[in-house]
Amino acid sequence: MRQEKIKVLWNKKLAPFYYRIGFKSNKYSSAKPGQFIMLRFADQINPLLRRPFSIHRLISRDGNIVGLEALYKVVGKCTKKLSMCVEGDIIDIIGPLGNSFTTSDNYNNVFIVAGGVGVAPMLFLASCLQQNTDVSKFSVFLGSRSKHDLLCKDDFSRLGIKVLIATEDGSTGKKGFVTDILETSIKENHPDIIYGCGPTAMLKALALISEMHSIPCRVSIETIMACGIGACLGCAVESKKTPEKYLHTCLNGPVFDTKEIKFVNFL
Amino acid sequence: MKKNPDLEVSIGEIKLKNPVMTASGTFGYASEFKELFELSRLGAIIVKGLSIEASKGNKPPRIVETPCGMLNAIGLENVGLEVFLQEKLPFLKTLATPTFVNIYGKDIVEYAELASRIDDIEGISGIEVNISCPNIKAGGMAFGVDPESAFNVIKAVRKSTAKTLIVKLSPNVTDITKIAKSVEEAGADAVSLINTITGMSIDIETRRPKLANITGGLSGPAIKPVALRMVWQVVQKVKIPVIGVGGIMTPEDALEFLIAGAVAVQVGTANFINPNATIDIIEGIEKFLIKNNIPKITDIIGTLDVEG
Repeated sequence: MRQEKIKVLWNKKLAPFYYRIGFKSNKYSSAKPGQFIMLRFADQINPLLRRPFSIHRLISRDGNIVGLEALYKVVGKCTKKLSMCVEGDIIDIIGPLGNSFTTSDNYNNVFIVAGGVGVAPMLFLASCLQQNTDVSKFSVFLGSRSKHDLLCKDDFSRLGIKVLIATEDGSTGKKGFVTDILETSIKENHPDIIYGCGPTAMLKALALISEMHSIPCRVSIETIMACGIGACLGCAVESKKTPEKYLHTCLNGPVFDTKEIKFVNFL
Repeated sequence: MKKNPDLEVSIGEIKLKNPVMTASGTFGYASEFKELFELSRLGAIIVKGLSIEASKGNKPPRIVETPCGMLNAIGLENVGLEVFLQEKLPFLKTLATPTFVNIYGKDIVEYAELASRIDDIEGISGIEVNISCPNIKAGGMAFGVDPESAFNVIKAVRKSTAKTLIVKLSPNVTDITKIAKSVEEAGADAVSLINTITGMSIDIETRRPKLANITGGLSGPAIKPVALRMVWQVVQKVKIPVIGVGGIMTPEDALEFLIAGAVAVQVGTANFINPNATIDIIEGIEKFLIKNNIPKITDIIGTLDVEG
C-alpha cells in the first residue's frame, strides 16, 4: 500500500459515460485481480472523500509493470470530474488495497459473470487466468442494460475466452438478465468456480444460483467507504458466520465468498 | 542556520513533541497507517472509541459525503477492552508517541469501570472521555449535553484513574462553555472540542435517509468555522488546556486553532482523505514559525488579537 501523486497517461472514452483511464506507476507489479485503489484529486476538498476503483488492467512495457488502468462510468461528481482529466494531470492514489480473487491452476472450467461496469476487475482476472491456464473452455457472461453499456467484449475474446451476452433490452445478445444465460450454461457445463462483479441484485442471484448448483462463488462488492484502509469502518458488511460483528469491504474484501456475507443493498 | 522552533506542548502531565494529535475514530488503532508514514512523528495518537465489551456498531450505510464534509454513523464499532489490550496496544507501545484511549460507556458505572481497568496499564498515557458521540444512545451524548450529568460522569472517571484525562465535548448544545466548566470542575485535565455536529441527508428519489441510522455526525472542512468559534469561547472560560478539533485539513487550519487559544489540535476526517495530513500539518506549522521568527509554538497559542 502506498500513497502517490501520479500522472494520467490517457483517459479514453469507450462509450457514452464509460471511460478507461491509465495511470503511471511502478508500484503495482505485485497487484492482484480484485484489488482496488482509492482516488482523489490532489489538494481538493470538493469532492472531499476518495473514491474506490477496481484495478481494471495493469500496463506493461518491455515486461515491466509501468502503470494501471481503471474503468469507470460517469455517475456522480467525482467520475464527472475524472472524465475531464487529460494526459499529464496529477491524481492522488492509494493502492493497491484489499484482497483478491483466489485462483487455481487446476480449474478446467471457470465462469466469469460481469454486470455493467462491474466488468472492471474481471478483465484483470481473466488476463491473469490466461497467463497460467488454458482458458479456451472458460466463459465470460456479460450483462448490461443495452448494447451501449456493453464493455470489454473484444478484450475477453482476444484472451481466447468464450463471451456470452445478455442485455435487458435485447439490443444485443439474449434479452434478459445475465444470470438467465448463466443458468442455462451451468446445466450444460458445470463450472469449477464462478467469479462475479456487478449490481447487488446480480450478486444476490449469483449467491442463490451457486448455492443451488453447489458451485463455489466469489464476488467483488462495492460499498461506500471513506478511507479504504480500515480506519473509518464505514464499509460494514453483514457476516453470515459471525453475526455479532461486521466484516469490512476494505479489510476483508472486496472479494468475498458468497457464503460468507449477507446481501443487503450496499449502495 | 536557524534553530528549529520548539513545538513541544503539554496536556496534563503528558508532554507532546508537537501539538498534532489524531482524532478518535479516524485513525483506527494506528497500525492501519504504518505503511503510509512514520507514526512516531505524531504529537499523540488517540485510538478508536473503546467500550468494555466489543461493539458491532450501526447498520450500513454508515457514511455519506456532503458538500466539503461527510456524515458518519459508524456507531462506535470497536474490538472491546480485552482485544484492544491483547492485539492493538502492543503495537502502539512500540511507537515513540503517547497513546490516549478514547472511552465510552452506557452509564456512569461503565465509564468508571473502564477508566479504572485502564488506570494501571503501561503504554497508555491518558484517557479521552467521549461524552459526545451523536450516533448511539450509549455513546455518552446524554452526558455531554447537560452540565450536571457531565460533571457526574467525569467526577466518577476522575476517581477511577490518575491518568491524564481529556474530555471530548459535543457541539450539539446551547452553550458549550457551561459543559466545559463543569468537566473542569469535575477534575478534567483538558477538553477537546468539537465532536461531530448532528446532521442528516436524504435521497430524494427513494425519499429515504442516506444513512441507515437516519442521522449522523458531520465532520470535515464544513464544520471548521463552528469548531473554531467554540474553541475560542471555551478558551476564555476554562484554565485547563483546550484541544481544537473540527475540519482541520492544513497547517493554516491548525494555526487558526492555536491562535484562538488551543494548546493542541486533533486531525480527524483529513486522515481518510490524505493519510499524510498530520505530517503535512506538523511540517507546515514548523515552517510558519521559522518564517515568522517565532522560537516556540507556545508563543503563538492564544495570541488572537480582537482589538485590531
